[in-house]
Amino acid sequence: MPESTGQSGVIVFDNVSKFYGDVLGVNRVNLSIPPGVTSLVGPNGSGKTTLMNLMTGLVQPTAGRISVRGVAPSQPELLFGFTGYCTQFDSFPKGLTGFQYVYSWLRLSGRPHAEAESMAWAAIDTVNLREAAVRKVAAYSKGMRQRIKLAQSIAHNPSVLVLDEPLNGLDPLVRAETIALFREQARAGRHVILSSHVLQEVDAISDQVVLLAGGYVVAEGQIRGVRSEIQDHPMQILIRCDKPGALAARVFQQDHVVEARIHADRRGLLIKTRDPEQFYLLLNQIALNGIEIESVAPADDDVNSVYEYLIGSEEATK
Amino acid sequence: MAVHKRTYRGYSGGLTPAWSRFLILYRQGSRGLFRSRFLTIFLVACFFPPLVMILAAYLSHNAILQPFLKAPNKPLISIDASFFLLFLQIQGAFAYVLTAFLGPGLIAPDLSNGALPLYLCRPFSRTEYILGKMSVLFVALSEITWIPGLILFFIEASLDGSKWMWDNLWIAGAVVAGSLIWILVLSLIALAMSAWVRWRLAAGALILGVFFIGAGLHGAIAGILRSDYGVLVNPVALIVMVYKDLLGLLTVSTSGAQLGPSIEDACVALAAMCGICLILLARKIRAVQVVK
Repeated sequence: MPESTGQSGVIVFDNVSKFYGDVLGVNRVNLSIPPGVTSLVGPNGSGKTTLMNLMTGLVQPTAGRISVRGVAPSQPELLFGFTGYCTQFDSFPKGLTGFQYVYSWLRLSGRPHAEAESMAWAAIDTVNLREAAVRKVAAYSKGMRQRIKLAQSIAHNPSVLVLDEPLNGLDPLVRAETIALFREQARAGRHVILSSHVLQEVDAISDQVVLLAGGYVVAEGQIRGVRSEIQDHPMQILIRCDKPGALAARVFQQDHVVEARIHADRRGLLIKTRDPEQFYLLLNQIALNGIEIESVAPADDDVNSVYEYLIGSEEATK
Repeated sequence: MAVHKRTYRGYSGGLTPAWSRFLILYRQGSRGLFRSRFLTIFLVACFFPPLVMILAAYLSHNAILQPFLKAPNKPLISIDASFFLLFLQIQGAFAYVLTAFLGPGLIAPDLSNGALPLYLCRPFSRTEYILGKMSVLFVALSEITWIPGLILFFIEASLDGSKWMWDNLWIAGAVVAGSLIWILVLSLIALAMSAWVRWRLAAGALILGVFFIGAGLHGAIAGILRSDYGVLVNPVALIVMVYKDLLGLLTVSTSGAQLGPSIEDACVALAAMCGICLILLARKIRAVQVVK
């Protein structure tokens, strides 16, 4: 069975480039994506969809090698046995009901009638669309369309789930349910590769992120690890304490602290430091010297900040 | 570091044979065939000429009517190659109109809805996709061309006896071969136009246009250049040449000199049309459309 050959663990991009004629898709991408939720983040045209199309074999790389759990995308019979893809755009053959839509794709994937029927209903139940499944997809709302697309991508129980902008158009409740579904899929050991523009959500969902800009991978890995690698921007740390003024005076004596700003509620201090390690050591001493520190938390090790530091300036100069 | 337990179980059941999966597209495509009242009426109308011809064959063998139907020296209706040529030409025209109605709806909606990535992110190739779409036309056009043609042939054989059948079996072969060639040409032109023009109505107009433009060019070349080679851009004239050749009715001059394009030229021209359509399809049926 395809699944048995697709267990070797990671998705590998080995020096992969893709050009559409003279238009750059992605260039020299080297990635090793472990199971879990991986978010592809980047502005429009950065290469997110190209990367997804490459790993699903929809486009062939101009150069380099791709392996999805040990299977090359040029082997569709094997690859699509364990890969599910949810495209960014609405893509519904005309006249189908929600059930027929999911069922047809399963039949096209080679599932016999009875199994395709039960698997289709199971997927429809997962996305909570049973009542609407007998209606035509053309009459669905944007959120329902997103869910039925998601259902077709998970219906054949894939171990690699590739989702292009899957949260677009979902209302908050369904969004939360969908995110929970992704987490559940990831917990089971699947690859969940998604692209999103909603950075706060990416932060909440992802085990790792891949930041893309202009067809290049700008950064990859767990978001905190990525943040610590960015030396150009001092790390921001928010300290909740009873004497922010006194704390500011103490920390300003250090060379690595470049800025200290008292919080609007006067119960905290936001500092910027070039050496967070040194700062945390200093903070231990300060805590022992009479300033009561309630909490210490990095203020800019989220996707939003990393995106802003790595890609935002590039975007601004365009 | 996230810790994942591998608890999922992949599908471990049987799979349908890969060759049969294009039939899912046939089922999908043919579902809407009879939803249109016009198409249903048209399909029914397509069966009238074969019915009339079957009736004619019956009457020509009816003992009571024989004296009335016979001219002084020969039967009024002769069931021979010319009779089947007439059948092929009439049914070929119906097939052409039916293609213009069915063809545009096959690929254009998938392209305008961006559905191709969903088809092709399965164990399903572009060739299978085209085959699946073509099968909708193949079945519909077969129902009005070679299938009634064979029924007509065997009814005539049952009326005229086995000797007639064995003597004229090649006519049955010619009807099937001629119909299949026309179905192939029509299907490829329809699919190519449907893929090239995403707007369904425009695709339908273009399918009709290809044939009218071909016939117009043919006429213009014949009128201005006084050449018979204009037939090479007219698919209808080409297929009639093929029909005639298959039925042994293609005329050549008594001296054996070529009057215009030969049947080989006609076959090459039809093959070239099919080739162009395949190139158009190969360019358009892609999982990812790149807009520069």
